[in-house]
Amino acid sequence: MTAATLRRPTHSLGFRLRRLRSNVLFALALAPFVLFAAFPVYWMVITAFKQVNDLYNLQNNPILFHLAPTLEQVQYLLEKTPYITWFINTIEVGGLVVLITLLICVPAAYVLSRTAFPGSTTLGIGIFLTYLVPPSLLFLPLSQLVVGMGLINTKWALVLVYPTFTIPFCTWLLMGFFKSVPREITEAARVDGCSRLGALFRVVLPVSIPGLLTIVIFAFTLVMQEYVYGLTFVSSSDQKLITLGVVTDLVRGDVFFWGSLMAGALIIALPVAIVYNIFLDTFVEGITGGALK
Amino acid sequence: MAELTRRRQYGVGATGGRIGHLLDSERVFGYVLVAPAILYMLLLVGYPFAIALWFTVSDATVSHPIGPFTGLKNLQFVLDDDVFKRALANTLIFTIVSQILQMILGTSLAFLLVRRFRFRRIVRGLVMVPFTVPVAIGAMAWNWMLNPTYSVVNWLGTHLGLLAPPGPNWLGEETYAMVSIIIVNVWRNLPFTAIVLTAAINAVPKEIIEAASLDAAGWWTRWRKIMVPIIAPIIYIALLFSLVFTFTDMTVVWLLTRGNPVNSTHVISSYAFVTGVLSGGLGRGATMSLFLFPVLLAAAFMLLRNLKARSID
Repeated sequence: MTAATLRRPTHSLGFRLRRLRSNVLFALALAPFVLFAAFPVYWMVITAFKQVNDLYNLQNNPILFHLAPTLEQVQYLLEKTPYITWFINTIEVGGLVVLITLLICVPAAYVLSRTAFPGSTTLGIGIFLTYLVPPSLLFLPLSQLVVGMGLINTKWALVLVYPTFTIPFCTWLLMGFFKSVPREITEAARVDGCSRLGALFRVVLPVSIPGLLTIVIFAFTLVMQEYVYGLTFVSSSDQKLITLGVVTDLVRGDVFFWGSLMAGALIIALPVAIVYNIFLDTFVEGITGGALK
Repeated sequence: MAELTRRRQYGVGATGGRIGHLLDSERVFGYVLVAPAILYMLLLVGYPFAIALWFTVSDATVSHPIGPFTGLKNLQFVLDDDVFKRALANTLIFTIVSQILQMILGTSLAFLLVRRFRFRRIVRGLVMVPFTVPVAIGAMAWNWMLNPTYSVVNWLGTHLGLLAPPGPNWLGEETYAMVSIIIVNVWRNLPFTAIVLTAAINAVPKEIIEAASLDAAGWWTRWRKIMVPIIAPIIYIALLFSLVFTFTDMTVVWLLTRGNPVNSTHVISSYAFVTGVLSGGLGRGATMSLFLFPVLLAAAFMLLRNLKARSID
């Protein structure tokens, strides 16, 4: 091919002006949305890295740095608060919740998506509907249940309760994944002498690894996002998960440690936001129940 | 028998013997595998719900969780409570106003995001931020942005000439506090509405729109006769979910105002939290929470009908 054929066709001046105008209008329409959505995060960044003298100086333009950025607030967070403990708690609780979720969801989603037995459709929809049950409906009785089991004010209460919202959501998502595994594969495995369970472990799960990974990530981020159950069940600093710890322990009486609070918030928010963005389409599909297919 | 022999021959039966044979019955296999999920949900959703119902008709407190039966006394008390009545009204106001704003802004944003443009992924990522950041953290960032002394919203507003200096005390005055809660709710849920709508619009087959254009159908006709019927079911589900989430959420209110000034911005769930957890009145708190239930039930019913209708096609 010659260079001439690759060159873009030249448009008339009028066309280019019209295109320019349309692009400018488009950008003007989109900009307010982007600002509204992302400004709080910019503000978190500014707050987290400003020196205290700069942050609380009303004479300055607040949206810019006037003194050199500092890691003081991050340092305070790591050294003077149990941030590391909260982080470890989150990993522990998140890990256990993910494990429980997988152990319960995988078999349930498999049979609900594959085998027709009396009541299977109703059960599937029933599990999905429990996703609508909000913490604010159950936090009082659950707190008594947790007291009865001697788990109040420990992170283990959260390990017990969090699967109530990860199970419905993850079962529903997994059902979608399993449905997309061609039936012929499992049938072939059965003909070759695999039991039903064998077919699940040897054939369906290996090809559903992306789906399982999605479940793991969603269950974990749901744990990181939770606030109400944590607030109700856990009051000791050393038992808190990261989100709860940051928004409760960095407020002492009426004094807010805004810099450290925003630094702590930012460290949680960024990875969750990035992961969600990668899996956004899956999430949307899960929540609309595959209505788009 | 023949099947068993064959299985032994290949040596692949994961669960040999009697149990394996039982599991090969489709029905038993189904029930056994779905049982853990059902049990977990019954134990930690069904059973607590039953306790909640018992709480509403008994004088349960944190020190005496098994209180005496008091009939409808809690309900009477709750209905006489002015703060609760206000909370009930607030819950409806917050939910309805936020939903309307979300639908209007969400549709506009969705149409902008459908277009192909440079940096689309980055822009989409930025617009999605409020939805991906944990709610508690988003609410806390807004609390700081609306701080009475250091409000950056007021700084920007007065410098752009939108607000009269020094700007309102957002979280300290009743009306502004209500507005703030609605703004944060919209901020939080707008991306979800927009992204679901974008997906819905993208799902409309291009050929149909082109065909309609060729038939000289105007913009409005194309929208009403083609787009709306195709995207309606998806918007419906998105709307149901975001309705339930806004209606039952206490995080935004709790972290912005704690229901203040003078208990004027409580919602059902935040006031139930104050009554049931902070003051230890389990019976009254549970009675308040139960006011969420009719709306949840209606949403579940509508979702159910929608799902059933789809599984028939």
